[in-house]
Amino acid sequence: MTAPEIQKPLLDVRGLTIEIETRRGPAIIVDGINLTVGKGETVGVVGESGCGKSLTMLSLVRLLPNKIKVKGGTAEFAGRDLLKMSKSELRQVRGGKIGFVFQDPMTSLNPVMRIGDQLCEPLIYHRNMSKADAGKRAIELLRLVGIPGPEQRITAYPHELSGGMRQRVMIAMGLACDPELLIADEPTTALDVTIQAQIVDLVKDLRKKLNMSVVWITHDLALIAGLVDRVAVLYAGTVVEDAPVGELFARPTHPYTRGLLASIPKLSDERASRLSSIGGTPPEPGRRPKGCPFAPRCALAESICHERVPVLEPVAGHSGHRVACFVAQRQLKEAA
Amino acid sequence: MAAEPLIKVENLVKHFVVRLGAFGERGATVYAVDDVNFDIFAGETLSLVGESGCGKSTTGFTLLNLQKATSGKVIFQGENIVSLNEKRMRPYRRELQIVFQDPYSTLNPRMTIGEVVGEPILFHKLATKAELPEKVTRLLADVGLPARFASRYPHELSGGQRQRVAIARALACQPKFIVCDEAISALDVSVQAQIINLLLDLQEKYGLTYLFIAHDLAVVRHISDRVGVMYLGRLAELATREQLFSNPLHPYTRALLSAVPEADPELEKTRQRQILVGDVPSPLAPPAGCRFHTRCPIAMDKCRAVVPEWREVETGHHVACHAVEMETAG
Amino acid sequence: MTITPVNLSSTVADDEPPVSLWRDAWHRLLRNKLAVAGLAVVILLAFVAVFGPWLTPYDFLTQDLEARNQAPSLAHLFGTDDLGRDVFSRVVYGTRTAFVVAIVVTTIAVAIGVTLGAMAGFFGGLFDRIVMWFTDMTMSVPNLLLVVVINASLKTPITAWMEARYQATLNPFYRETIWVDFLLVFGSMALISWPPYARLVRAQVLSIRGRPYVTAARALGLTNRLILMRYIVPNAIGPLIVSVSAGLGTAMVLESAFSFLGVGVNPPTPSWGNMISDGLRVWQHYPHLLAAPAAVLGLATVAFSFLGDGLNDALNPRGSK
Ligand SMILES: Nc1ncnc2c1ncn2[C@@H]1O[C@H](COP(=O)(O)OP(=O)(O)OP(=O)(O)O)[C@@H](O)[C@H]1O
Ligand SMILES: Nc1ncnc2c1ncn2[C@@H]1O[C@H](COP(=O)(O)OP(=O)(O)O)[C@@H](O)[C@H]1O
Ligand code: SF4
Ligand code: SF4
Ligand SMILES: [Mg+2]
Ligand SMILES: [Mg+2]
Repeated sequence: MTAPEIQKPLLDVRGLTIEIETRRGPAIIVDGINLTVGKGETVGVVGESGCGKSLTMLSLVRLLPNKIKVKGGTAEFAGRDLLKMSKSELRQVRGGKIGFVFQDPMTSLNPVMRIGDQLCEPLIYHRNMSKADAGKRAIELLRLVGIPGPEQRITAYPHELSGGMRQRVMIAMGLACDPELLIADEPTTALDVTIQAQIVDLVKDLRKKLNMSVVWITHDLALIAGLVDRVAVLYAGTVVEDAPVGELFARPTHPYTRGLLASIPKLSDERASRLSSIGGTPPEPGRRPKGCPFAPRCALAESICHERVPVLEPVAGHSGHRVACFVAQRQLKEAA
Repeated sequence: MAAEPLIKVENLVKHFVVRLGAFGERGATVYAVDDVNFDIFAGETLSLVGESGCGKSTTGFTLLNLQKATSGKVIFQGENIVSLNEKRMRPYRRELQIVFQDPYSTLNPRMTIGEVVGEPILFHKLATKAELPEKVTRLLADVGLPARFASRYPHELSGGQRQRVAIARALACQPKFIVCDEAISALDVSVQAQIINLLLDLQEKYGLTYLFIAHDLAVVRHISDRVGVMYLGRLAELATREQLFSNPLHPYTRALLSAVPEADPELEKTRQRQILVGDVPSPLAPPAGCRFHTRCPIAMDKCRAVVPEWREVETGHHVACHAVEMETAG
Repeated sequence: MTITPVNLSSTVADDEPPVSLWRDAWHRLLRNKLAVAGLAVVILLAFVAVFGPWLTPYDFLTQDLEARNQAPSLAHLFGTDDLGRDVFSRVVYGTRTAFVVAIVVTTIAVAIGVTLGAMAGFFGGLFDRIVMWFTDMTMSVPNLLLVVVINASLKTPITAWMEARYQATLNPFYRETIWVDFLLVFGSMALISWPPYARLVRAQVLSIRGRPYVTAARALGLTNRLILMRYIVPNAIGPLIVSVSAGLGTAMVLESAFSFLGVGVNPPTPSWGNMISDGLRVWQHYPHLLAAPAAVLGLATVAFSFLGDGLNDALNPRGSK
């Protein structure tokens, strides 16, 4: 994979902050996320359940559920701020320039509509295609995502397809209008490993063919190792580390990233040896600690960590690698 | 490993009869577990892996007689336990426990943690009422929870903490054997490692035997002594961890191993994946002959007609595949 | 060998007392303004129903032919009707009727529904299919039709039988036609009201029976009775509470509808339904005769439905996630 030029990112999210209304009052769930995706680049967003991965992506197309609001920040897509766009502009972007693949294919597909019709809808709407043309394109899309016999399958209802096939239909829907950016929210989490391998291969293949940018959300670090160009590690609604994929696995710098990588069992482990693990659990929204959100679980935490919030800063000498940690930054400086 | 197995599973079969159609007018059979044979030795961790719906959980449930076996035997302490009714099963229940996948529905939301853990102790008369609080405290300490959790309700706990309580509940009976049905699959990556460590520690402390059901091969490779691979209700291969991961024989095992991503971008770049084509067939109408033949890259005519025999090709390495059979025979 | 204790930084704090799901639900209910308003109205109406006779200035039957069809005034808060009876008193007594009917009908319906539904869910098989067939049959017959048929076919013979008993025994009990009304109203309303409860409870039991905690309880070797009492029933009861609350309101509307159609509680026993039906005939001249009972009926049903909604939200807090 060649590192694509990142002079002018396709998507540039800055300081995105999302708040939720709870009974204890408003609580911040996403706290000033910065994220860029270059043209043709594939970015992995990794983080544990509940750290705000899905909400960040939903906020980009302004599909946040009730009671959850964007409180600040900008999200420029091809030079326009998605968060300030008019409704009609936004409709052009949703499903047109930005394609979405959701976590759960069964609840995201309309169960009472044939998959062909669901595929045609955005084509007719965004591309002003005739019904016949849209139908042809739908068949083409199903073939593209590797569904056998697409001419027959187009009349199937979602429940008549297997989980893997439904997920491929979802991807086909995300791709329908040749998006410039595909956002895939845990598209393989519900699938088996052999099917997951099929989907990963498919997306790699399509990305090359269509030169799209991809944001791949997951909690599986191993999965993205062979798939993405760059990784952003999320913890409790903030990006704690951001680096090219090879760099991240070779030189994980944030204590959380290191902990995550260390807790994955490796080929070389002895049987039944203790895994290194991170104690504790991620904070609930509304109970984020003051200072570094990782501090209560961090073995390296110092007094400053409990008082001030570290910001994402470049790791000297390694271009494109940024980390938000006081101690790691200091250690890097000392080493230099 | 003792010579005499703790549990012997012989020709275990579990079929479900389901009703299909809008009015349930059509009956159909789900071939969930078909003719499965294996032994579980005291103190070991035997893992079952395979794609979802291949019958791993059903094997675990049937083995514990929580679902009635259609046929076959499960021999435990000289008794075929799957033939026992609930009452005669009760003495064995205490020794055979289970931990489930979903930490959110594994505990009764109306009971405190203390009640959850204490109930089996009182029911099986393993302690008096007076001794109970101390016992509960000890069990909670065993799974790394402080005593004050006894008065909490499940919804106040995180997923990992609930899973610890579920393990404490299983331990409360002082069992010999625990089925861990995807016990860590629903947990966060960082918490998974905590629970794996806990299970390993407890095994060492109490000499437990595990049947570890999972789909994450990296975890399975880490904790198992032996691994069984299931496909559509049948065992495809069963071997020691070393044998299975260094010398997989069954084409399905090979495909499965090649599909597991490794957390190493360098390795991933050069790795040869063997992508299986097609989806898992429905267990309502499993293919005749070898059930894997619809996706097997080396399927032969024979595979479509004849069910491959479950054979031991080297000590402790069992496999059911015509191609392997031909290789090892000639 | 050591077992690493969990770092508990982020979940349960020491200083917070444990909260059971019931307590939690109660607090959530109290935070829901509409539900609290509903609850308040329900409590008020219940109070009125119980202590009505001590609250009303007039008897509901006392006719004051001098003061007929009076508009609301201080002497007669809701005015008087065409026989000079105090409408306020009649509405108060109507509340009593409404509550008695709603409670008795719902109790019978819940008893039938829960028993059949729980057994169907727990035992399954043929019994389940028979019960469900029966339930579907009952639900598919139009409610009003069923009630009208029952009333039309049973009322005359029962009344005749009562009259005969009276002639034979001279026991004044048999002269109280109100008993016939109540029997028929309660009976027929319960008959059409139990199927939703049966369905709900069956579905609850079916879904709870398959939950891992029930399987875990079986794996612990617990007896069926213990499992039913400690695991299934406490968890099935929440949705039942919700539906009973809504059901009470529905029963009141149903009773009024039947009275309105003349198949419910008969005059002179005051019921909101027959007051509405009387009021409707003259509403252009004496709107208060319609407005008073209709408003109270509306208030009651809205209150029950807010309370039901609130209970629903309170008992299923984590709805989707
Ligand atoms: N509709 C909602 N109502 C209330 N809270 C919500 C809602 N959706 C998400 N949240 C909360 O917001 C936080 C972030 O949720 P989000 O779905 O973005 O997590 P995620 O990182 O995608 O996790 P997962 O891996 O489970 O998909 C969580 O604490 C979650 O409980
Ligand atoms: N109670 C049941 N009734 C009908 N079919 C069932 C039942 N339980 C499991 N099955 C079916 O049996 C097969 C094996 O299921 P299971 O053992 O749960 O798979 P796994 O644990 O390997 O994912 C699946 O096809 C599943 O749908
Ligand atoms: S800033 Fe401090 S607490 Fe946060 S990760 Fe770095 S060392 Fe740990
Ligand atoms: S028996 Fe045939 S189809 Fe089955 S795995 Fe072996 S070679 Fe493949
Ligand atoms: Mg998500
Ligand atoms: Mg399972």
